Amino acid sequence: MRAATGNVQKEYLLRTLSFCVLTLVVNILLILFSFRFRSDHSVSLLGFGKLGSIPIRTATAILILGCIGLAGSIAPLVKRLKVEVNVTFYITATGVVSALILWAAVGSIFDMVGLVALSLRLSTPIVLGAMAGMLCERTGVVNIAIEGMMLTAACVGFAATVYLNSLWLGLLCAILAGSVMAALHAFLSVSMITDQIVSGTVINILAVGLTGFIRRSFLVKAKLSRTAILPIISIPLLSKIPILGTIFFTNQPIVFFMMILVVLLTIAFFKTRWGLRTRAIGEHPEAADTVGINVFRMKYLNVMLGGAVAGLAGAWFSLETTGSFDDMMTNGKGFIALAAMIFGKWHPVGAFIGGLIFGFSDALQIIFQIKNIPIPFQFLWMMPYLITMIVLAGVIGKSTPPAADGEPYIKR
Amino acid sequence: MKKLIFFLFILSIAAFAFAGGGKEEAAGVVKVGLVTDVGKVDDKTFNQFAYEGMMRAAKDFGFEANFIETQQPTDYEKNIQTFAEEGYNVIVTVGFLITDATYKMAEQYPDIKFVGVDQFFENARENTLGLGFAEDQSGFIAGALAAMMSKSGVIGFVGGIEIPPVIKFRKGYENGAKYINRNIKILGVYIDSFTAPDRGKAAAEAQIADGADVIFGAGGPTGSGGIVAAMEKRVYGIGVDQDEYFTTMGGGPAPYLLTSAMKRVDNAVYNALESYHKDTYEGGYYVGTAANGGVGYAPFHDAASKVPQDVKNRLDEILKKLSDGSLTTGVTL
Repeated sequence: MRAATGNVQKEYLLRTLSFCVLTLVVNILLILFSFRFRSDHSVSLLGFGKLGSIPIRTATAILILGCIGLAGSIAPLVKRLKVEVNVTFYITATGVVSALILWAAVGSIFDMVGLVALSLRLSTPIVLGAMAGMLCERTGVVNIAIEGMMLTAACVGFAATVYLNSLWLGLLCAILAGSVMAALHAFLSVSMITDQIVSGTVINILAVGLTGFIRRSFLVKAKLSRTAILPIISIPLLSKIPILGTIFFTNQPIVFFMMILVVLLTIAFFKTRWGLRTRAIGEHPEAADTVGINVFRMKYLNVMLGGAVAGLAGAWFSLETTGSFDDMMTNGKGFIALAAMIFGKWHPVGAFIGGLIFGFSDALQIIFQIKNIPIPFQFLWMMPYLITMIVLAGVIGKSTPPAADGEPYIKR
Repeated sequence: MKKLIFFLFILSIAAFAFAGGGKEEAAGVVKVGLVTDVGKVDDKTFNQFAYEGMMRAAKDFGFEANFIETQQPTDYEKNIQTFAEEGYNVIVTVGFLITDATYKMAEQYPDIKFVGVDQFFENARENTLGLGFAEDQSGFIAGALAAMMSKSGVIGFVGGIEIPPVIKFRKGYENGAKYINRNIKILGVYIDSFTAPDRGKAAAEAQIADGADVIFGAGGPTGSGGIVAAMEKRVYGIGVDQDEYFTTMGGGPAPYLLTSAMKRVDNAVYNALESYHKDTYEGGYYVGTAANGGVGYAPFHDAASKVPQDVKNRLDEILKKLSDGSLTTGVTL
């Protein structure tokens, strides 16, 4: 027994040590990098919307970031400070990204508000998809078919908009289409006890065929290729707040829905009877059944709710962004959403942060290309996956799925 | 019972997935097959163009024509093989990314003639004809027009995956713009997908925010997303491959779509199939240029009134000069 504890401790120490060494190296590189800007007295211009821009001495700022990171990477080794390795990791990651932004801001104004607003917008389908996955997995149904549900919803929503001549009815149809696909998933995996991965895969493939068929048979033939997009809404008063108003309170509807859902689901999962029951089923369906919860009904309900949220994400592509439908336009975002869900530890706020990281790296990648920063943009695109892998590997905090996730429930 | 229902369900999906496959063959008729890149024969990009070229040839020369739409890059070989095993005489494959699969299959089936759109075969065989296009010339014209129409002196580019045809469009665009205005600022973004209109749009919006007032979108639906952003922000957009006025814009109205940098894939495929019909097919490489009508630019449509006559004249002159070789784009890969 004592030997086992010793091993765990040893493992923990080794992990801490290796992580500290890694971040130490990164931060030293960061400090060395700052000297690059020392000789030519570079100044970074960070723009904050109407408030104007703030000039910062690039070299000094990066040096400070590096020093903070350095201190952060030594801190976990000093027992008395009680700093955990994950703090170190986040400090260093933030430092590196900030340094890159400072670099991009040398010479021309770097619009910080625009960057965050763009990140939020690009993260919307990912966060929604992650919450869709969460609704399913919290009741023990693995849902890898979010991509397919999103794609179907994007297509049906667009078709409905064109035929009914109303964006809002189209949006409603997209949500319904998402839940219908989800009902199929629930039928296969809950009632038929099919392997949930197989069922999800089937739905993903079905969605590609189905949407391609709808597009070719109805949309292209009828020469329906474009529609208006959902309008930008400014919340009165709140949108007038500098910076925050631009980022959070001047958006298109689905972005608002996403932010509202994050709050709503957090409360619903952890403060309501529905949430308690949902989580109980996800952890131990037999126990939930014993106390009189209708497991099957709850599973159907939640999976279909998840489908509705995925439908909203799908509508983001066709009705909020492009005003058209293209084959496979969801482009794997449904799978990225699953990564965001795991990153967020099956919590809506975590999923929001996870989705934002993905959206942020995509936005940053675009802006770096425009600013001609000689970093391979694929590197930035890779970052969130790297972070997710680190989270998955349990290096910085464990991400544990609900105990009965993916297991079919057979009533005895 | 449950099992049976499930089985029937799977069966129906399978039937659905494989619907639209082979037809009964008639003896003696030349059979032409087309394998798309990931995409569809009506996806508004070169897949559709190649398909239209094939259908025109089939009609004119009495071929039997069929197509397979590729769902995954891993299916390229399998799809080509399907046609090969069915005894097709000519197989047209579409897209740069399908090059290797085409070549491999050409080695395996030496009696079948292959036509590869957007492809170049390093060691061309007797049965491999690559169809290339001078995207740089097409892009050059787009760049020249963009530079002449820009008021801010900043123009933008939204590309798909960074592969040779897209790179040539971009470099041609840059050189064309500089040919008009040496000091013009050219922003550009590659997106690592051809089917991400949302990200293409975001890229265009970021460029517009940085002052760009003309956006050239080159990269399937991703690039089209960029053009859509331009239309919304009321700055000029330039399409690619086909006349996007009819595809992306659904036939208008599109007052801000200047033109499209055209790649006449349909003509090239038609010509290749005609050569098979006339028994003059030869393996090798065909390049569609301004000189042979392989590249060019689309009509201005709704934007015609916004483009001054001297700009139109200048553009015509550039096209002529590119055709007769007195002007080169200066793009090398």
